[in-house]
Amino acid sequence: MAHEPIRSIFENDPDMMEIVRDFAVALPERRRSLQALLEANNLDALQVAAHQLKGAGGGYGFQPITDTAARLEQALREGVDASALKDHCQALCEVLDAVTVSENV
Amino acid sequence: MNPEIRTPTRILVIDDSEPIHALIKARLQPEGLEVFSELDGEAGIERATTDLPDLILLDVDMPELDGFEVCRHLKNTPATRDIPIIFLTGTASTDSKVRGLDMGAIDYVTKPFDQVELRARVRAGLRTKQLQDILEHQSFLDALTGLWNRAYLDRRMEGEINIASRYDRPLGIALVDVDRFKNLNDTYGHLLGDVVLQGIARVMQDSARSSDTVARYGGEEFAILIPQADLDSTAQVAERVRQSIESHSFEVRGSNIGVTVSVGVVCTAEFVGELSPENLLNHADRALYASKDAGRNCTHLNVRGKIRPLEPGES
Repeated sequence: MAHEPIRSIFENDPDMMEIVRDFAVALPERRRSLQALLEANNLDALQVAAHQLKGAGGGYGFQPITDTAARLEQALREGVDASALKDHCQALCEVLDAVTVSENV
Repeated sequence: MNPEIRTPTRILVIDDSEPIHALIKARLQPEGLEVFSELDGEAGIERATTDLPDLILLDVDMPELDGFEVCRHLKNTPATRDIPIIFLTGTASTDSKVRGLDMGAIDYVTKPFDQVELRARVRAGLRTKQLQDILEHQSFLDALTGLWNRAYLDRRMEGEINIASRYDRPLGIALVDVDRFKNLNDTYGHLLGDVVLQGIARVMQDSARSSDTVARYGGEEFAILIPQADLDSTAQVAERVRQSIESHSFEVRGSNIGVTVSVGVVCTAEFVGELSPENLLNHADRALYASKDAGRNCTHLNVRGKIRPLEPGES
């Protein structure tokens, strides 16, 4: 399921523009890291990564990141089966893929 | 102890996520706040202890030393005990909020935080701290004279004695007691006795250096702490105070009366190895009583336990 582009609600906030952009630019790296951790079955580190995305996403104006990361963190905490875990991780990655920042910063 | 106006206000962020550092900085800097940050609990404690920020935003969920442990450590360390802490919590669980508040945190903010809420909570935390500082300041003032009180003198003496011994810089102490104050009270009444005490406080404050600490030590007894002063300079300050009071005329019920004081002086330079506030005050007290015995309105020095009058022309 492909997402509509996700934009920060603070995209035009002069205090925020620059750091929103920095945050978005670093997301592909975080996405790669999430998948690597899942493949290596390093669930503790995956939970920390999900926790951090949950805490930061909404603050940068990307509420969908916080929502999907919260579901992944919760799943890890509850210890769901591998296929459900993969789905939660996939959902978060798709959101990260959909994040878009305007070019004219 | 003197409340310093220090600008700008400095906020320490302790959080294991760098995006959170950048975010808080972006949100608080426009408020005129200076923000610096550390990525783990241990570095955070170290930074808090050396830089003494005005407020700390502390993440609860951190690997190794978590927020609660950091908080406990900061609250158990005298230097950092009074720095207000606001917890940043990722979970909305009541349990962790209550635990944080019970540990001495002033407030909490749930991540992801709303910027308006973050700013408001930080402002409120800083305001509470400021009020605490004012209250603490007031609790160290003598209500009648506006000088520092005995509690402050004790606390300050301890600090000054430490500095004196660490840097080998002598500290002078002068005890000043109003002569025949009881007669004055009996003759003119307590209200006018109070007016005289207030007048003496003003004269003492005016004749002391700005780095000196002038305190009301008891009823009609005052003390002056004189940092970086050897016995001679301490005696000089003490004698200047004594003479200023002697030459001052206090207006009581439209007529002018003269008041004198007796003074006892010691200096830490003369008492190596016995540097407690109690000891020094006792030594000064012995010199003071020698001044009383010698007929009042004079100054005596306690030099290594030997009491002698301040010779004319010595200061």
